[in-house]
Amino acid sequence: MRHVARGDEAAFEAVYDQLSRPVYGLIRKVLRDPAQSDEVTQEVMLEVWRTASRFDAAKGSAITWVMTMAHRRAIDRVRSASAQALREQKAGPMYAGSSEEVVEAVEARMDAERVRRCLDSLTELQRESIGLAYYGGYTYQQVAGLLDSALGTVKTRIRDGLIRMRDCMGVS
Amino acid sequence: MRFLREELHTLTGAYALDALDSAERDRFSRHLQRCQACANEVRGLQATATKLGTAVAAVPPAYLRERVLAAVASTRQLPPETEQLPVRRSLRLSRASGSRRPGTARDGWFPRPAALLAAAAVGVAVVLGVTQTVTVRELGHARAQTQAVETVLSAPDARLLTRSTSNGGRATVVVSESRHALVLTTSGLPALPAAKVYEVWFMAPGVARPAGLLPSPSAGQTAPLLAEGLAAGDRIGVTVEPAGGTARPTTPPILLMSLPA
Repeated sequence: MRHVARGDEAAFEAVYDQLSRPVYGLIRKVLRDPAQSDEVTQEVMLEVWRTASRFDAAKGSAITWVMTMAHRRAIDRVRSASAQALREQKAGPMYAGSSEEVVEAVEARMDAERVRRCLDSLTELQRESIGLAYYGGYTYQQVAGLLDSALGTVKTRIRDGLIRMRDCMGVS
Repeated sequence: MRFLREELHTLTGAYALDALDSAERDRFSRHLQRCQACANEVRGLQATATKLGTAVAAVPPAYLRERVLAAVASTRQLPPETEQLPVRRSLRLSRASGSRRPGTARDGWFPRPAALLAAAAVGVAVVLGVTQTVTVRELGHARAQTQAVETVLSAPDARLLTRSTSNGGRATVVVSESRHALVLTTSGLPALPAAKVYEVWFMAPGVARPAGLLPSPSAGQTAPLLAEGLAAGDRIGVTVEPAGGTARPTTPPILLMSLPA
């Protein structure tokens, strides 16, 4: 990322190749709409280039920096009114492109298996709350409504569940 | 109050998943500036959320790569944030309620004393670098000074504290007990006539020891001042004194801050 900050386009290409799959996958999972996912992925990757000098390794890893940005951009899209309307129209089964187009990256699969195992160790309410908030892009108030649970319960289940995930996955 | 704080603390999870509405998110962002434990927890939970994200990785369409690289070729990058002194940041965040700039990943990315102050130290170097009249010897001194500032900022026990001054400014201090030193920056202090200066003090009961003079501000901020010789139990004071400073304070302090152990 330091090289990217100095305007090194080759370094940025390497970053793109390393991070575009998780970034795109996450945005796609949240937005579902392929055209919007393209747009937001492009915005995020360009933002990585533009703001690379602001990345500080002391505050976390590069991938967390980028994925936090990606998730927030996707959420901004979800919460903007026009996107909301579009999303409702297009709600339905997740777009399944050709197998070449939507292929899980090999190294991500191992991570994914671990994530699934750890998700399995959560209570149902924890798992559902986290899934709806993170992948669904809902606020915890909306999650509480969807799960017919008290607000405070959902709020604490999200936190307990994430802490359990963190410990299960050995995130420092 | 305590109840309220615990209430806020349980929002770390929802914050890390971007599951707060914008009003609550702003409120919690402000809380994070003051709650180091919350900031640490959020960092760990964001790293955990990242795993949830990478678990759904998918190959983007190939044309996206071309588009992004083409856009990169015509997009100017932001310079490093040398102006991002802690004071400015906290001021901006406290003013920013309800006006989060869309699409920035800044909130949630919290300043840590060492990193912030590395930026502050760079600020010192920059300020010194543009001073045309410095002699070689002064430059050598300046370099040693910058290193000393960095030593404080990178100390394992470095803590960041901010306080308002009684005359409408704001002081940010990074203090390291193990280094017996602190680094002080300010913003928004009223400009003084040429015959006056802001003087910094280590204040113990009944005694005040001079700890340095604040440099004159540039764009409303003063460059980091290194004050060495801090003793246990000292408080930090700032007073307005005649140019050149005095041996003991002659006016009531505009800032008096204790350094909680």
